[in-house]
Amino acid sequence: MIALTQTLILGVLAGAVYALMASGLTLIFGVMRVINIAHGAFAVLAAFLTYSLWSAFGLDPLLAIPFIMVVMFGIGWVVYQGAVRHSRGSHVSMTVLVTFGIALVLEGVMGIIWGNRSASIRTDYTDASVEVGPFFFPQVQLLAAAIAVVVLIALYFLLNKTWLGRAIRAASVNESGALLVGVSVAAVAALTFAIGIATLGAGGAMLGAIQPIVPGTHYQWIARLLAIIVLGGFGSLPGAVIGAMIIGVTEMLATTYVGSAWPVAVPFLIIFIVLIVRPQGIMGARLREDLVS
Amino acid sequence: MSDAAAKSVQDERRSRLIRNGVLAVLALIVVLFPLIGDASMENTMILALIFAIGASGLNIITGYTGYLSLSQGAFLGIGAYVAAILGRSMPDISPFVWMPVAGLTAALLAMLLGLVTYRSRGASFVIITIAFLFLVQFVATQWVPVTNGTAGITFPLPTWSNAVWGNWPFHLVLVGLLALSILVSWWIRRTKFGTGLIAIREDEGKAGSVGINAPIYKLLAFGLSALFVGMAGTVYGYYLSFVDPIGMFSILNSVIIVLAIILGGRGTLLGPVLGAFILVPVDAFANNYLGGGNIRLLVFGGLLVLLVVLLPKGIIPTVQLLLEKRRTKGTVGLTGSITALADRPLPPPREKLAPVGDTMLLQVTGLEKSFGALKAVDGCTFGVPEGSITALIGPNGSGKTTVFNLISGLMTPDAGEIVLDGERIEGLAPWGRAHRGIGRTFQMTRLFREMTVLENVVAPLRDFQFRQLGLGAVSGSEAEKAEEFLEFVGMQAYRDARAGSLSYGQQKLVELAQILVLDPKLIMLDEPAGGINPTLIERMGGLIRELNDQGKTFLLVEHNMPFVLGLCNPVRVLARGQVIAEGSPAEIQKDPLVLDAYLGDDYMLENRSGDGAAAKGEGR
Repeated sequence: MIALTQTLILGVLAGAVYALMASGLTLIFGVMRVINIAHGAFAVLAAFLTYSLWSAFGLDPLLAIPFIMVVMFGIGWVVYQGAVRHSRGSHVSMTVLVTFGIALVLEGVMGIIWGNRSASIRTDYTDASVEVGPFFFPQVQLLAAAIAVVVLIALYFLLNKTWLGRAIRAASVNESGALLVGVSVAAVAALTFAIGIATLGAGGAMLGAIQPIVPGTHYQWIARLLAIIVLGGFGSLPGAVIGAMIIGVTEMLATTYVGSAWPVAVPFLIIFIVLIVRPQGIMGARLREDLVS
Repeated sequence: MSDAAAKSVQDERRSRLIRNGVLAVLALIVVLFPLIGDASMENTMILALIFAIGASGLNIITGYTGYLSLSQGAFLGIGAYVAAILGRSMPDISPFVWMPVAGLTAALLAMLLGLVTYRSRGASFVIITIAFLFLVQFVATQWVPVTNGTAGITFPLPTWSNAVWGNWPFHLVLVGLLALSILVSWWIRRTKFGTGLIAIREDEGKAGSVGINAPIYKLLAFGLSALFVGMAGTVYGYYLSFVDPIGMFSILNSVIIVLAIILGGRGTLLGPVLGAFILVPVDAFANNYLGGGNIRLLVFGGLLVLLVVLLPKGIIPTVQLLLEKRRTKGTVGLTGSITALADRPLPPPREKLAPVGDTMLLQVTGLEKSFGALKAVDGCTFGVPEGSITALIGPNGSGKTTVFNLISGLMTPDAGEIVLDGERIEGLAPWGRAHRGIGRTFQMTRLFREMTVLENVVAPLRDFQFRQLGLGAVSGSEAEKAEEFLEFVGMQAYRDARAGSLSYGQQKLVELAQILVLDPKLIMLDEPAGGINPTLIERMGGLIRELNDQGKTFLLVEHNMPFVLGLCNPVRVLARGQVIAEGSPAEIQKDPLVLDAYLGDDYMLENRSGDGAAAKGEGR
C-alpha cells in the first residue's frame, strides 16, 4: 500500500510537468488546428539551452526559466512565420508533415550542437528529497511541479482575463467570425504558437534537472504529449491537465509493476486505443461537423 | 480551326511517342544497371528500387485514397522480419518461398491498420500510423524469443552462390516487384475500384451516400499497399543479411517513402517511383559525403518542410499543369451558360398537384439525435407517400438537414425507426441505404471535385460485388446512361470539365444527374432551389416534376416558399426537431402553429387571396 501510494505521488508530480508541456500543444491545436509534432523536439531544445546556461555560467535551471521562456517564445514565433504559417490552409495531414519535418531538423541541429549523447544537469538539490512520514518527494520534481502549477495558472489567467486571451479563444472557436469582429487571426495564431512554445520552454527547462536529455528522445516526448491531448480531447486545456495526470500515473505504475521497458509503449498504446474507441477524448464533445465530414 | 485541331492531335501523338521512348530507355537502364554501376552505385540502385516499391504501394492509400501514412516503413521491416524468423528456423528452404509469405503478412497487418480508418481520418490517422510504427518496433525489441530483441537476426546465406551471381538476383527480383506494383497501381486507376478510392479521397461521406462501400474498398487498398513492400522487405533482409529493430523500423524510412510520393506527385502512376529515384541518391550522398546521421535529419526534415510549402502537388502534376497551360494558351474554356438547359421544352404544367397515395414509401418514427446538450431532432415522425413530392420545411436550425443525414445514413440516430419500402434501414450504412434506393443531394453541393463531370456521374454504385471492383471505370453502357442523365439536366456540354470548376448552380444539376444513376426510389434534395438564379429554379422545378411523372418519389428540404407550395404535396413542417404540422400546401398556409413558428403573420396578409396558387406570392 505504501509502495502504491508512493508510485501515485511520483506519477502526479511527473504529471504536473507533463501538463505544463502539453498545454502549449493543445492550445496550438485549439487555435489553428495544427498538430505540432515538433513539440517534443522544442522541449528537448529548451532542456539543452538550459543545460548550456548551467554548464557555461553555472546558472540554476530554476533561475533560467524566465530567460528560456523568452528565448523559446522568439524561436516559436520565427518557426511559425518561417514554416508553419505556409502550411495552413492545406490539408491537415500536410501540416502534420511540416511540423514533423521541423522536428527532424531540430533533432539534427541538436545532434550537431550538443552531440548525440546524454547530458544532465546536476544541482545541489538534484538528489535531495523531502520526506513526509513513509513517503518521499524528490525535491527537483516537487519544485518542477510547483512551477508547472504557477505557469499553468498564469496561462489560465492570460486566456480568460485578458483581451489577448479572448482573441485567442475567439479565433479558436470561429476563425472567420473572429476576423469579422476585428481580431487579426494571423497575428493571434503567431502569438499563440509562440506562447505555446514558451510555456513548453518552462517545462523543458526543468527537464534536464529531472532526467538525462538526448536529442533522439523527442519521439518519446511527442508520443507522451500527444497521448495526453488525445486522452484529454484535442484543444481542451482542462483535458490536457487530466490527461497528463493519467499518463504520469500510468507510466509510474507500468514501471513499478510491469517492467521498466513498458513506459515506452504506454503513450503509443493510449494514442492507438483512444483514437479508435473515443476519438474525441475524455473532455471533448462530439460536434455536428465531426460527424458529417 | 480544324488545322489547329489536327496539329494539336499530331503534337499530342508526338509528345506521347517521346514520353514512351524516354520511359523505355529509363526502364532498360534500370533493368541492366548492375552492368553499368560500381558497387556503391549498385547499392544505391537496390535501395532506390526498394523505396520505389514502397512509395508505389503507399500511393494506393495516400495518393488515391487520401490517407497519409507514416507506417509504410514498418511493412518493409515486417517483411524482412518474417523472412528472418522463418529463414532462421528453416535455413534450407529457398528465400523465394518466404517472399509471398512476408508479403501476405504485411498485407494482413496493413488491413488491420486500415480498420482504424473506420473511426479516424486526417491528422488523427497520421498520428496513429506513427504510433503503429513505434509499437511494431517495440514488439520487435521486446519479443526476444522470436525476434532476438535488439541483437537482431542474421539471415542464413542464400542458396545461390554470391560469387557467381553477385547482386543480380536481388536486383532482378526487385525490378520484377516494382514492375508488378506499378502494374497493379495502373490497373487500380482504370477500374471501378480506383474510381471508388478516389471518390473516398475527395469526400468519404459523399462516397457512402452514392453507394460506395468505403470500408471494403479501404481494406483492400491497405492490403495492396503493403503487399509488395512486404515482399521487398524479404529481399532487403537477405540483401543486408541482417535485421534489427533500430535500423528496420527507423521512422526515416517512412519519411523517405512519404517524401517520394509528395515529390513525384501524389496519385500519379510514376510520380512516387520518380520521387524514390531522386531521394535515395540524395540520402546516399548525405550518408557518404556529408557525414550521415544528423545531416540526414536536416536534409529530410528540411525537404519535408520545403516540399509541403513550395511544391505540394509534386513534380509530375506541376509539369503537367505547365504543359497544359502552354497548350491551352490563348484558347477559351467553357463559360457558364446553360443554354442547353433553356432550350429543352418544359413539361406541360400540371392541372393539379400530385395526388397523395396511402402507402408510405418512407416512414420515420420517433427519430432522435443529440449533439452534446443540443437536441437537434427530438421525436420526429412523418411519412413520405409513394409517388409524392413531399416537402420538409421549417425555420433554420429546426433539424431538417440532420433529419436528412439520419435518413441517408451519414449519422446514426440515438433512437427511432426509419422504414423504407417496408424495410427497417436505420441500422444500415449509407451505401446500404443507397443500394436500397435512397439518393440524396447536399445543401452545399458535394461533388468529387478533382473528377470530371462524367466520372462523377458514373461513380455511384447500385450494389456491391467483389467482381465489380475489377470492371473498367467507365464502361460503354454506363457512359451512355450517364450522358443521358447529363443531357436530361442539360449539362452534357460539360462532361469533361473538372467538377470543381463548375458554378454552384451547375454543380446542383450534376449532383442530381449523379444520384439518378442510382435509380433511386426516393430522391432527397436538400435545398434544390437555394442559391441559384430564378430561371434555374424554374427549370429545377420542371426536372423534379418530370421525374415525378416517371414515378420517382421526392423528399425536399427547401426555404423558397413559392417553389415549395407550387410543387409539393404534402408538406411537413419541422420546428425544434419535431413535426408540428402536416398537410397540403393550402392547409399548411392556414395553420396557426406554422404561421407562428415559421411563415410569420405577415405571410397571411400578403397571400390572403392565395388559395394554393401561392407560387405567385413573394414568400416570407
